[in-house]
Amino acid sequence: MDLRLSKEDHAFRDEVRAFLAEHMTDGLRRAMELNTCFINEPPVALAFHKALHAKGWAAPNWPEEFGGTGWSPVQRYIYESESARVGAPTFNDQGIKHIGPILMKYGTKEHQDAYLPRILSGEDVWCQGYSEPGAGSDLASLKTRAVDEGDHYLVTGQKIWTTHAHFANRIYVLVRTNTEGRKQEGISFLIMDMDLPGIIVRPIDGSGGDHEFNEVFFEDVRAPKSGLVGEENQGWEIAKYLLEYERGGNPQAARVRARLSSVARLIKRYADDDPSLTLRLAEVGTDIDAMEMLELTLLSDLQSGKNPGAVSSLLKLRWSAMQQQLAELALDIAGEDALRWESGRPLYESLQLPPDTEEMLGIGPRYLNYRGYSILGGTSEIQTSILAKQLLGL
Amino acid sequence: MDLQPTEEQQLIRESAEKFLADRYGPETFRALIDSDARWSPDIWNGFAELGWLGLPFPEDAGGFGMGPAEVVILMEQFGRVPVLEPYVSSVILCGKLIELLGTDEQRGALLGEIASGQLRLAFAHDALEGPMTVTRGADAFLLSGVKRAVHDAPMAEIYLVSCTLDDGTVAVFSVPANAAGITARSHNTLDGRRLSDLDFADARIPPEARLGGGTDGRAAIDEATAWAITASCADAVGAISAMVEQTVDYAKQREQFGQPIAKFQVLQHRLVDMKIAEEEARASVLLAALSLDGDAAMRERGASGAKAKVGRAARFVHQAAIQTHGAIGTTDELMLGWYAKRLVAFEKQFLPTRRHLGRYAEIISDPEAAAAPLLREATA
Repeated sequence: MDLRLSKEDHAFRDEVRAFLAEHMTDGLRRAMELNTCFINEPPVALAFHKALHAKGWAAPNWPEEFGGTGWSPVQRYIYESESARVGAPTFNDQGIKHIGPILMKYGTKEHQDAYLPRILSGEDVWCQGYSEPGAGSDLASLKTRAVDEGDHYLVTGQKIWTTHAHFANRIYVLVRTNTEGRKQEGISFLIMDMDLPGIIVRPIDGSGGDHEFNEVFFEDVRAPKSGLVGEENQGWEIAKYLLEYERGGNPQAARVRARLSSVARLIKRYADDDPSLTLRLAEVGTDIDAMEMLELTLLSDLQSGKNPGAVSSLLKLRWSAMQQQLAELALDIAGEDALRWESGRPLYESLQLPPDTEEMLGIGPRYLNYRGYSILGGTSEIQTSILAKQLLGL
Repeated sequence: MDLQPTEEQQLIRESAEKFLADRYGPETFRALIDSDARWSPDIWNGFAELGWLGLPFPEDAGGFGMGPAEVVILMEQFGRVPVLEPYVSSVILCGKLIELLGTDEQRGALLGEIASGQLRLAFAHDALEGPMTVTRGADAFLLSGVKRAVHDAPMAEIYLVSCTLDDGTVAVFSVPANAAGITARSHNTLDGRRLSDLDFADARIPPEARLGGGTDGRAAIDEATAWAITASCADAVGAISAMVEQTVDYAKQREQFGQPIAKFQVLQHRLVDMKIAEEEARASVLLAALSLDGDAAMRERGASGAKAKVGRAARFVHQAAIQTHGAIGTTDELMLGWYAKRLVAFEKQFLPTRRHLGRYAEIISDPEAAAAPLLREATA
């Protein structure tokens, strides 16, 4: 067992670092440091994404035949981790990591030709319509209806917590096409253009001051039937396939480690005299070490063709907690300075302050926003119940 | 980067599982706990026959040339018993110290005898206490002072004794336990093992008993200690995993209010938290093991990080296991109580959890160190 990179992977890492050094401009770096959301806003990342696209790196997780990189799991891990380490932005993850792989597996040739190139080029931005007011943790109880009216579906209902719907020009939604039988078996997977008449986006402002989420209303939307992905009532299977596809493809240790490092910098700058803060930092540090080892074990399993087993819920549960602990620690370091509130967003556009002071203004919003980490993408309680089944057979 | 166990590593795990299941069940453990010696020469010889007592030593010194990954695999199985024999003291701590610091002659004389099971050692180091007084006589060093809490000293034939000399170097002497001028006051420990406080009163140590001639022993002590911390963390992970397994089994069969208590979500979630603590602790130990061939800073980060992380997991898991068992968990009726005591002892040995967290904090408070990924540079 060994943590050393092979010569080839080492060379690849150097290539990734060189790319990042060239394209992470000072302006982009500052924008990302002042980002208080879960996901940076797409416009700030567009130039960076275009540079990736020019290099052929826009879709690290796609096979070459669809214009992806065709990278090995290790290369992909290196790329994701190095990007996270320097705080590189993401662009249209819903397109690249979610709908892209789904269209490759379940989409028609027409779907693939129409959408995949535009995801790569950055022309399209996608959003995901899954959660509903009455269907959060219990997603399969969703009620948005799609009724077959011959040449189109008539879609009525409401989605909520739709990240970046206000930036997106496309949406993929889970809709109910059958109310009989098991609730999972009456769900279909439908894609639509956001400019269809009857789609209304209403912002939800987070208590951290950021507009990241939206409600999306469907008021008698006539959605072309060409937007159906897979068979009618196959939607639940398709949504679950993504969990399978994502396995190991979304490393988080490097992302949390980057925050650890920035909190270490905060302690040095503002609270070097308080050892209790450093000890809390160290506890999270040991947690991150363990999580990174679990991620690398998963990666090694994938690389050697083994089934990695049930770790994605475990990792989500743990990294979300670590993100929250670090945001809380930053809040405790800042003390009263964290009370200064700048309401303009994004912060990098609204702030004209000396760099030393401006970083303080992100701490309060980030603390408040990050409470959502243990809620979005499956709450910690749901993940724990999944683990009770998967790990312990309870 | 490869974290797949080799065939050889799987073989070590399987042979350890088999030997310990056949020869070291709870009855054997309890019989040893009831004995004065608290260890079994018979078991020790079994370890020797399986090659475990020379596992990490170079082949030219009578060992099997295995690395830290093999050691932690074996130690995790030891922790599941939990094994009372002085493996960490004799083989890992003292054995590695001799390998790292000793002259060829000293290595030849001692490592082979450890590997064959004839010799057990204890390290009288006492990192926190005041120094011993060492006087250079005409033909010998004279040692006076106290070494407190020397683990496994009562079953050792040889003590390795650390002292700071007048020239500022640290010497490690290999001293027969029955040498004149040494008195041992021995105690049972909370977890059923043995330790001694050693009184030295002008004990005469010949110069050739100093490991490595005139070499300063500090670096070797630090490195051997990092090995021992890693091994003892792996032992703790074994005890943790046994506790998690037994607690899950218990919750599945224990019925109250007409159903197994494992049906209650509040207990399910606690059991998951315990299992996660186990998985994370094991991952930390693997990091520590794979850091042992790095430089001193990497070793210290690995070992102290693991000691802090496993220490926290040990505290949480044993408390949760006792609580889930209810009243029976507070007794020695089940093995549970002995695992709990093993884990309490683990936290104290080789400096307590909070001190390792402090050491790790010093390293990680440097933003560059905090940011560094665990994947290492390619081999040349």
